[in-house]
Amino acid sequence: MLTRRSFIELDALGRATALLDPGSVRVLAGPFDRLESPWLAPQGITPQADDGTVIARGTADGRPVVIAAIEQGFQGGGTGEVSGAKISQALLLAAAESRAGAPTAAVILFETGGVRLQEANLGLNAVAEICSAILDLRPLAPVIGIVAGTVGSFGGMSIAAGLCTRLIVTPQARIGLNGPAVIEQEGGVGEFDSSDHALIWAVDGGEQRCATALADDLIPDDADLLRTALIDAVHGGVTEAGQHRSQRLDVLASRLATLDPSDPPSPDDLRRLWGPHYTPVPEPPTAGATKVDHPKTRGRSWLRALGGDATLEQVIPSVLVATTKTARYLAVVPDPDNRFYRAREGQVGLTESLAVAQAVHDLIEADKDEDVKRAIIAVVDLPSQAYGRIEEMGGLHQAMAATVDAYHRARNAGHPIVAFVVGTALSGGFLTHGLQANQILALDDPHVEIHAMHEAAAARITLRTVDELNELAKTILPMSYRVEDWAKLGFCDGLLSVENADSPTQADVDKVFTAIVDATERARRGPLDLSNRLGSEAAVATRRASRAVRELLARQWNPE
Amino acid sequence: MQTLNYRFPATRAVPGAIHIGVVASGDLEILVQPPGDGDATDSAAVRVRTSVNGFDTVWHDVLERFFTRIALAGTWELNDFGATPGVVTLRLRQAAEAAGANGPTS
Repeated sequence: MLTRRSFIELDALGRATALLDPGSVRVLAGPFDRLESPWLAPQGITPQADDGTVIARGTADGRPVVIAAIEQGFQGGGTGEVSGAKISQALLLAAAESRAGAPTAAVILFETGGVRLQEANLGLNAVAEICSAILDLRPLAPVIGIVAGTVGSFGGMSIAAGLCTRLIVTPQARIGLNGPAVIEQEGGVGEFDSSDHALIWAVDGGEQRCATALADDLIPDDADLLRTALIDAVHGGVTEAGQHRSQRLDVLASRLATLDPSDPPSPDDLRRLWGPHYTPVPEPPTAGATKVDHPKTRGRSWLRALGGDATLEQVIPSVLVATTKTARYLAVVPDPDNRFYRAREGQVGLTESLAVAQAVHDLIEADKDEDVKRAIIAVVDLPSQAYGRIEEMGGLHQAMAATVDAYHRARNAGHPIVAFVVGTALSGGFLTHGLQANQILALDDPHVEIHAMHEAAAARITLRTVDELNELAKTILPMSYRVEDWAKLGFCDGLLSVENADSPTQADVDKVFTAIVDATERARRGPLDLSNRLGSEAAVATRRASRAVRELLARQWNPE
Repeated sequence: MQTLNYRFPATRAVPGAIHIGVVASGDLEILVQPPGDGDATDSAAVRVRTSVNGFDTVWHDVLERFFTRIALAGTWELNDFGATPGVVTLRLRQAAEAAGANGPTS
């Protein structure tokens, strides 16, 4: 015990150094390169010179590795524009290196509360780019996630954790989509008592995640043992296509079928129900789909309008599709009778994530022998992800990872993916259903809102009033709730004004339909990855820091 | 956030770049670099960015005390997130130690 070297007590650089072979560590884009966040100082927040993320190249038992270590002390490990770009670029460079014949494993040390709300939309997009880059690298070299604690992994970055080849945790680690405090704030103390530490670790803790196969290796807080586990994972190489946790829709479906929100299992019951292996579990008989009286919402109205003659089918009552000869339109909609009561207003929850993933997967299968793949149009009108205890216990982040994986697979198979935002597109919901698209269109309408968190919650978490938040948003572009400001961030491929955003007129439908067809064509001609979000005219103006990170890391990737 | 600039007399230059600490709650990071071409070699230029406004005098006193004992010339940048004077002094001493110059102990 006395000879044990604690890993958790180390800072980000100390952690990276402890994992790599002695003497092999080379830090890229370090503090003296001064790639600090351009958005914090104007808000009166002291920046850190390396934006709180250490990128280090080196070897693990002689094998080339790049580590992205998030510094949990700085802004709670929150993902900002710069720190996010450092991680995604490290992954992309590892993929390029691997393609060139030198497989380079990537290691991400997840210690993060999620998207840094002071950089809201740029942080959210950075997470989408990280997810995409993990999926680009994963077939070429292993991507290994380590969650040691004490912050743990929360927010969109946990979706990224759910995409990793292998996930190593300590008993001190926590992994979840929504943190306990946010759930309590959104759903009340009855939903999640964030002062109950035993409950938090029973739901999100490393032991529980391992016992339910949502993580792979449970290692004590010991730098040497963690290094051994990492070396083992690096030697383990890549996982066979189709066998990643985020690709096993069969397992996810069988597991979710056993979850009854009206009589939820305890965390201990869940271990018995699901077991320590990610394989299908026996499903209880389910009642057939019921006819649902859907509330009229923008998402549903636009889906119906754009689908034309195609019938609206329900994958599940809260996920609707319309499939034409050229495209599949998909929307998450409210289902007032949703058995998962925290997802009744159109939130993306466990079953919504699975249903969207399934619908995307099915189209890939249906078109696999076609030369021209049908487009997938994600009609986005969702209040957020589902904030709930049962959702977290069931691993919402892992369900969302399945959706992100499916969209990425479709995009890389040649299906143009177009996200069309008609209402609210918030946070993890948008990461899951929308942000993996090649092209993003949005209605130019005051009720369209794209953000990392809704206003009231963001104000509470950043200890500001809503008025203060709005005042800041006037000068800090990524924090703005106005869609015209969002459109200046570099990833908007069209802002469309219509006569009636709630009930589109025929002229509105024609206009949007044309814009979607154009976007589809651009997607077919454009890159398969998300690089156009950095090359656009708006990105050149606004995402200067992201571009500087990309350039610097590429330049420093190989020693001079 | 408040930005404060100070200059203290110094006798020898730091030998190379030094980085210490993290901008975590109650902590700070320090970046030190040797004087560049055209910079004064007989003084330490210090820039402090602190999340807590209104402590100019305390910063001055803590820094003056440090540079009186350890007169390392160069460019010093302190990014502070509410560190107490004790923590600031500790981090400064760590930087000095990394520079191989931990002068007389108090």
